[in-house]
Amino acid sequence: MEVKPEEKAEIEEPEIEYVSYGGEHHLPLIMNLVDQELSEPYSIFTYRYFVYLWPQLSFLAFHKGKCVGTVVCKMGEHRNTFRGYIAMLVVIKPYRGRGIATELVTRSIRMMMESGCEEVTLEAEVTNKGALALYGRLGFIRAKRLFHYYLNGVDAFRLKLLFPPPRQVL
Amino acid sequence: MADKPVYEEASIDGQPPKLASIPASDTTVWADASPLLQAACAGLRDGELIHGDNFNLFAAMSALEIMDPKMDSGIVCTYYSIDEAIENGAAPIPISLDSTIDVRCTIDIMDHLLACEAAWHKGHSLAQTVFSCIYLLRLDRTAPHALLHSYCRIIRATCKAVVSVVSDARTHEEEDLFTMTYGLPLNGDGDDKCLSILNAVEETISRQLRACKATSSKRRLPEDLEPLQSNSNLEEGFCKALLCRLRFRKHFFHVLSCMKRPQGRGLESARKHIASCLTELESILESADFLRSCFDESCEGDIDDKTTASGFEPIGFDAMLNSRLSAPTPPRAIKILSWKKAVEYFVKLLHDLDVICSYSLDPHLESLLRFVVQFQKSQPDLVARSHLQLLLVQDGKLYGRDPFFAVINKAAALPEATKNHDIQKNESFLQLGMLVMNLLKILCTNAAWQRRKLGKFLQDWRVIYVQLELAFRNEYGEVSSSSNDENTCMKIFQHILLWVEEQTYWIAFRFLILGFELELYSTGEYCMVYWYLYAVLIKLTEKTHLMMAVSHDTAKRKGKKKKDSSKDLARESRIPPAVLFLQCYICLAEGLTMMLAALRNEIPVFHSPSPFNTEHEKFVQHFELLQRACIPDHVSYPSYKESTTHARFSTLAMYNYFKDAQRIAKEVKSSFSNDPERLAELRKLEQVAEHNSVAQNVICRLGALDPSLKVSFEFSHHPFFATVVVKRS
Repeated sequence: MEVKPEEKAEIEEPEIEYVSYGGEHHLPLIMNLVDQELSEPYSIFTYRYFVYLWPQLSFLAFHKGKCVGTVVCKMGEHRNTFRGYIAMLVVIKPYRGRGIATELVTRSIRMMMESGCEEVTLEAEVTNKGALALYGRLGFIRAKRLFHYYLNGVDAFRLKLLFPPPRQVL
Repeated sequence: MADKPVYEEASIDGQPPKLASIPASDTTVWADASPLLQAACAGLRDGELIHGDNFNLFAAMSALEIMDPKMDSGIVCTYYSIDEAIENGAAPIPISLDSTIDVRCTIDIMDHLLACEAAWHKGHSLAQTVFSCIYLLRLDRTAPHALLHSYCRIIRATCKAVVSVVSDARTHEEEDLFTMTYGLPLNGDGDDKCLSILNAVEETISRQLRACKATSSKRRLPEDLEPLQSNSNLEEGFCKALLCRLRFRKHFFHVLSCMKRPQGRGLESARKHIASCLTELESILESADFLRSCFDESCEGDIDDKTTASGFEPIGFDAMLNSRLSAPTPPRAIKILSWKKAVEYFVKLLHDLDVICSYSLDPHLESLLRFVVQFQKSQPDLVARSHLQLLLVQDGKLYGRDPFFAVINKAAALPEATKNHDIQKNESFLQLGMLVMNLLKILCTNAAWQRRKLGKFLQDWRVIYVQLELAFRNEYGEVSSSSNDENTCMKIFQHILLWVEEQTYWIAFRFLILGFELELYSTGEYCMVYWYLYAVLIKLTEKTHLMMAVSHDTAKRKGKKKKDSSKDLARESRIPPAVLFLQCYICLAEGLTMMLAALRNEIPVFHSPSPFNTEHEKFVQHFELLQRACIPDHVSYPSYKESTTHARFSTLAMYNYFKDAQRIAKEVKSSFSNDPERLAELRKLEQVAEHNSVAQNVICRLGALDPSLKVSFEFSHHPFFATVVVKRS
């Protein structure tokens, strides 16, 4: 059987449409993307937990009507800080390297900031250079290293973005 | 009582056996629930959820999709229970009626168990690894098979011993899977006799080996002994393969027993057993060729991935049988280490244990700390680190031998006589003893965990300093005491206060440099990290120098008169080598800070602001724990900015910190001629200094803005001082 080499999608930047999570009709799109690309098994309830409670924090990226990327997040009180958490971030392979993931994450973080979050956090494999570079550019630091966090024995970094204190309006 | 379910014969295509019928009893009846389920399906629309008191969206996340192979671990199992597996011949005894195959299969089981054991040590659950062995799960039924039985017993006893060590040490940090043993039959009656059982089997096989060698040399057999197996050509090979495996287990068990003896009394014996283990492991490796070649059938797949030396799949293992016992969440399939990698793991473990056993139990805390830091450089695994911790801290004493106040007394350069002073009953001194004990425990944990704990620990050390200082001032205030005992107490306080400060800065130093080892800093953050490191090193050096001066005083007061008093005076005014060593660090830290600052100030690409926060937030985050503990005092983001805002290559050209570092490193090398580890580090520091000096000159000469310049940072020479690499494209 012939294996086709991956083709890079031909697109122009303005052709990517970013949409906030809009309802149940978006859920299968998100689930398909994440199931495809990430190794963690999630039941539908996991997705529902995030998108029902924090619909304003999840975004989808479309190209010509096709969903090519998504970010799923939450926020809440955690040990006396109001904190955002990035749970899932996926962009399908042919669309990588174009800043789509950065744009998705940026929109979510902006929403978190506007909602009063003091910081944002997530975990990433220490070997995931792409993710580390992406979040590094956005201002995340590697706050902790988590030994053998993943089942395959790979360590993780806990990444954290601390927002500057809100400017006092005098 | 309900009848036992009736099983159909297992079908030929290997499908799991189906239940033919579960009969109803007197009080139960079967009813068809399909219409009810149908109605329930129509009762909720997509996206609706029933909210209960204990059931919300968060709770719903724990739901499993039945029949999803990733989530529903039960679906992928062959047998419903251990008994069912045994009834269906999954773990036959004997393994084969052909004694040759039986022996080879036994060896396969031994090898696979070794691989499972290594996988367990590396972080997987016992239930999914070692106790995936059905023979081990029902050990008593192996009694008719002496070889398998003795081997399983010693495995069980060994696992129990290792679990005990790791539990006692409580260093299992994030690796809490290790000690989970619920539901597993780890405690066996008569396991204390496992060695004698093993010895008996070993003796038999030794005789069989002698017998087959005698036969081959055509000498008369001294005894009428049944051979191990029926193929006389393979007898010697199999005997040897078995003997080294049995002997490895015996010696390994002895290592664990010896190392357990209190106050390090068994360390020397342990070393002998370690050496024997390593010899047997070599023989085990060598046996692989024989085991692979003794049968005509070759095995499929890459031999290096196999969990047995022969390459054959072992009989009698099923990881899914324990799926309900192994973890609170459904277990995912894990990969058992290959046999080769398992042997490598044990070789490393034994080398690490040997380092521990060779340690001289130095009563000097400073030497001990350096030993532990050095030991950690080889990245020992959990089992080795637990053993070290248990050696260091036993019964609330160092090595189970030295009370911690006495240890602190020595470390703080107080005279020997004060180690029994009543002041140690003072609450603050008791707490200080606990802190030292906890410090040793923390230093034995894995680097990631260690750094987090050390960061939090700083606060405790700061608090104890403040407490001690307060106690000191309350007792002695401004009054100069005349009584002897009051003088002694004063001296104890003064020395210990100074020592606590030195220790605190040492912990801060370790916290910062571990960040490099753990790759927690990105390149853009190096400048602030080296700046903070510089600030901490300044204080550490200051305290170390003071401590050494005070220690020299104590030595003088002991009445040690040196013959050559003029030389003595000169030695006094010279800076001690340990302090010079730290000054070398300081120069490198300063050099790197200024160079990185200059790069950031002069080259735009080095300074890329993020859309959501500034360097200030990163500073706050990285140094939060240090700042909270005021280590050091008067250090803040504004002072960092002040120190680095004006850095330019033009000013750097006039002062080369790296040259200073080089000079100091060269000078101080002779003082460490008896210390190979520090000597090695000095050479590395020299290399970093040299490379960075050259790099700085190149950038100064070409001008930072030269577009062909490409600057990067590598830790090729030293683990925490970066080497600056300048390339021209």
